[in-house]
Amino acid sequence: MKILKISFLTLALLFASVAIADVFVIANSSVQLTGAEVRDVFVGDKQLAGAVKLIPVDNANVQSQFLAKVMKVDVAKYGSIWIKKSFRDGLIPPAMKSGDAEVLDYVKKTVGAVGYVSSAPSGVTVVQKF
Amino acid sequence: MLPALSKSGSLASVVALLALLTSPAMAADTAESARIRDLEQKLEHSMKMIENLASKVQQLEQAKTTPVAVAAVASSQDARIDDLQKQVSDITSARSRASDDGLPIHGFTDVGAGRSTQDNAVYGKGAKGFAVGNFDLYLTPQFGDRVKALVELNFEIGTPDSLATPQASGVGVDLERLQLGYTFADSATGWLGRFHTPYGYWNNAFHHGAQIQTAIMRPRFLDFEDKGGILPAHTTGAWLAGTIPLVGNKLGYDVYAGNAPQIIGSTLDMKMAGDFSHSTSTGFNVSFIPGDMPDLKVGLHGLRGLVHDDATTRNVTRLNMFGGYGVYNNDLLEVLTEYYYFRNEDISGSTGKHGSSAWFAQAGYNLSGFTPYVRQEKTTLDQTDNYFAGQTSGRSYQRSVLGIRYDLNLKAAVKFEINHTKQNDLGIGVSADGYNESRVQYAVRF
Repeated sequence: MKILKISFLTLALLFASVAIADVFVIANSSVQLTGAEVRDVFVGDKQLAGAVKLIPVDNANVQSQFLAKVMKVDVAKYGSIWIKKSFRDGLIPPAMKSGDAEVLDYVKKTVGAVGYVSSAPSGVTVVQKF
Repeated sequence: MLPALSKSGSLASVVALLALLTSPAMAADTAESARIRDLEQKLEHSMKMIENLASKVQQLEQAKTTPVAVAAVASSQDARIDDLQKQVSDITSARSRASDDGLPIHGFTDVGAGRSTQDNAVYGKGAKGFAVGNFDLYLTPQFGDRVKALVELNFEIGTPDSLATPQASGVGVDLERLQLGYTFADSATGWLGRFHTPYGYWNNAFHHGAQIQTAIMRPRFLDFEDKGGILPAHTTGAWLAGTIPLVGNKLGYDVYAGNAPQIIGSTLDMKMAGDFSHSTSTGFNVSFIPGDMPDLKVGLHGLRGLVHDDATTRNVTRLNMFGGYGVYNNDLLEVLTEYYYFRNEDISGSTGKHGSSAWFAQAGYNLSGFTPYVRQEKTTLDQTDNYFAGQTSGRSYQRSVLGIRYDLNLKAAVKFEINHTKQNDLGIGVSADGYNESRVQYAVRF
């Protein structure tokens, strides 16, 4: 019984930690963006920020949290949205990066890049913490 | 004591006194000279020391110039490294952006089998057996931030009434889309070329993408021009499209103009290269997505244009289509419905205006990868309207569809579908043909 309780508490803590994980949406310093516009960027409805072409990138390690917290869709729906966008409008879906380091590096170096990471970064614009 | 001295004695006394007084002075002069010499020696020694020190200081200063030079070199190297890093960054950035210039090929393909009991004088016998579906490739090259293209090629198995492949079972290639675009803003992208005509929802959302549409078959009246459709699924012309934020909601629009189709050999021909008797078709599509229900999309659409046929006495009909559609699609439920109302006008003759309609409604529900779905479709097409009378596919029908789809993964699906069709308007005195069909399809995208 005690083992059961411990297991339950461990699982509860695990789920809680997953549930409260933060997602930081970041952008290259060339990008002026608001938190309210993030969703549109990641479904292809917002392609430009002023004169800068936006290049959203996904983060394999944080995608599930990002989709749940920011986009309010699951992976299948997100993929479906982009395949239709690509097929109908000729848009290129966000490239998938392996993790925070790769996203951070890409966003720092790429004009117009927008991504998301799991911890507070430096050297980039933090659009919003979700 | 001096007043006590005599005159002679006084002189001697003075001399003595002077001698007495001067002797110490002379001694003092000698001492002073020695002191001066000593001081001169010390000064000379000090000067030597100063010279030595100056020499050492000079040496030290010379020694100090080397680290300064090293620091200068290091600083120069830092600048070069910074410059190299910037160049690498620029190259990386350029490469990452240049990925847009690459040509990742996407596409769809499907295979399957089917059985049809269709048998009537207009459409003949239905096909049976295994079949290769479409092999559809599309490219989305981008040339900078705003210039882009969309090119789609479709390889398909022909049917006897196919324009692309007049020979049955032949493989035909269609240049489905060739459109060059420019993004003016988020709210406006202009395209020129051949594109999927943006009426309703299905034609532009799915088209040849068998894997991304839930069902196997398109609604028949929305099928391709050479496969049973009654509308031009493609247009060659200009198209402006965009999405406009509207108080937390989204307003989408499409306006387009292009070569009006003609009816050639009882099938709509999109006139990709223009025509001597050119006429223009125009259309619009306006959609609305509520901000608090992003899974819902409702819209209105319209299309008009002068359509000529190739009859001996050439008929000219003004195509007037107007309608609406609604789509709801979340992770579980998908509902699609489209309605088309026609009010075509006979321009070359005197039969006046003709009213016709077509619609379908489809619903599917995702149960852990299995998606059962149903669809009902119906057309009521006026056979005295030259636009429909001139098309083989312009006969009224109604069809009920039942199917199930299973998603093997995000890119592959297996579907099974049955339908019952009642084919009307087969000719005066000819009764309707009711037939059944069953199909299985294995569809992938890449």
